[in-house]
Amino acid sequence: MNTNSNTYTVIYTTIVVVLVAAILAFVSQKLGPMQAANEKAETVSQILTAAGFGDKEHWAEIGNSATLEFYSDNIESSILVDINADQTGNLDNTQAQVYSTSQLKAQNYNIKNGTDIQVPVYQFKNKVVVFPVYGAGLWGPVWGYIAVADDFKTIVGAYFDHEGETPGLGGKIKDDPAFRAQFAGKVIDLSAEKPFSIVRGGAPEGAANAVDAITGATMTSKGLDAAINSWIGAYGKTLLQGQAASEFIKALEEAIQSETKAVEEE
Amino acid sequence: MGKMKDTFVTPLLKGNPITVLVLGICSSLAVTVELKGALVMALSVTIVTGLSSLVCSLLRNTIPNRVRIIIQLVVVSLMVILVDQFLKAFESTYAIDKSLSVYIGLIITNCIVMGRIEAFALGNKPFPSLVDGLASGMGYGAILLIVAFFRELLGSGTLFGYQVIPEALYNAGYVNNGLVILPPFALILLGCIIWVHRSLDKELQEK
Repeated sequence: MNTNSNTYTVIYTTIVVVLVAAILAFVSQKLGPMQAANEKAETVSQILTAAGFGDKEHWAEIGNSATLEFYSDNIESSILVDINADQTGNLDNTQAQVYSTSQLKAQNYNIKNGTDIQVPVYQFKNKVVVFPVYGAGLWGPVWGYIAVADDFKTIVGAYFDHEGETPGLGGKIKDDPAFRAQFAGKVIDLSAEKPFSIVRGGAPEGAANAVDAITGATMTSKGLDAAINSWIGAYGKTLLQGQAASEFIKALEEAIQSETKAVEEE
Repeated sequence: MGKMKDTFVTPLLKGNPITVLVLGICSSLAVTVELKGALVMALSVTIVTGLSSLVCSLLRNTIPNRVRIIIQLVVVSLMVILVDQFLKAFESTYAIDKSLSVYIGLIITNCIVMGRIEAFALGNKPFPSLVDGLASGMGYGAILLIVAFFRELLGSGTLFGYQVIPEALYNAGYVNNGLVILPPFALILLGCIIWVHRSLDKELQEK
């Protein structure tokens, strides 16, 4: 047979490509549930790492099921909120249900287009609140989790991940603990024009709501900065309500304290 | 049988993909910071080169010559994606797959795979091609592991994640070498390995 004829070439390549596509589709379908379970455990471990319950390596060591169990034991509530901070749904804590990266992607699309959003707020029993951020890096999506204290303002930890940023440069948002460590102790300043900044060339001395960008990874840093700010925007009302509530409780506690003091003095 | 042994041994030593053919340098710089990652990468490349060579050799008489590179590429990418999918599916390998990030996918661009198909599999029977592919992958993997051994030992003081340099040594003032973690050191190390390899094997020395 003439293997160099046009007809043969076209038919041959078509068959090969269709065959390969079929094999890949089959394998992907068979392995899908296992991969999804791994991805879910990964997401949960990222949330737990951001909330400060342990190093990222710790969760890998104890394994998927123990990680999910730890999450279920320590989560207080995980609700879905819209742009007005109204609760629109619940996640199943006994199943350690969390928003997957693809769900974040869908919500990121909604945030960008100003359509209705439904985003998760994870509140742990130790009062730490975690919310996700999602956006575009240089080569692909970047996302992460930011944990704030019960004043809904002070950041206690953060964890970031990416799909294909350059290892050693943009990849540092995930791999460099020093980059993540900068976030702890900073505040989200909702009254400022930009609630949080990742500053190229270094954050100004004493800036409470800024961290240093990664040298050599300007685009990734910018992308992460935009991701954080657009998601803080989406959570704006939720954060404000949380701040007001925590201030109210604080004031209440102080009032009770001074009241009891006064009673005691009498 | 002697010929088969040759097919197997040559890619490991005289025709080593990295030290002699100087292929696959990029990934050998990138994934050799830790032994664990290097081992998974070595196994993945071995499986990909072996199976791709086997399949391409099976197809060798039917592939239209004008599109043979494309067909090879389709076969290689099939193998790479399969390896990636399986790594992602198991709990024990998921984290490693994540830490190797893009490099598993980039096996497609590893010159060793296409090089062995073009140079060997298209002109040989399936079984020798499989052996040649596997041996090429192992030759690549062996160098990867040697480099990773030194980089992890000197750079982090660990082997396969286990601390091997005793705490007492650190207390006495020993520090891990930061340069070893960075890719340039892998290049220096590779240079040394090529040097040793050539000085041991007179046939490889250029006049």
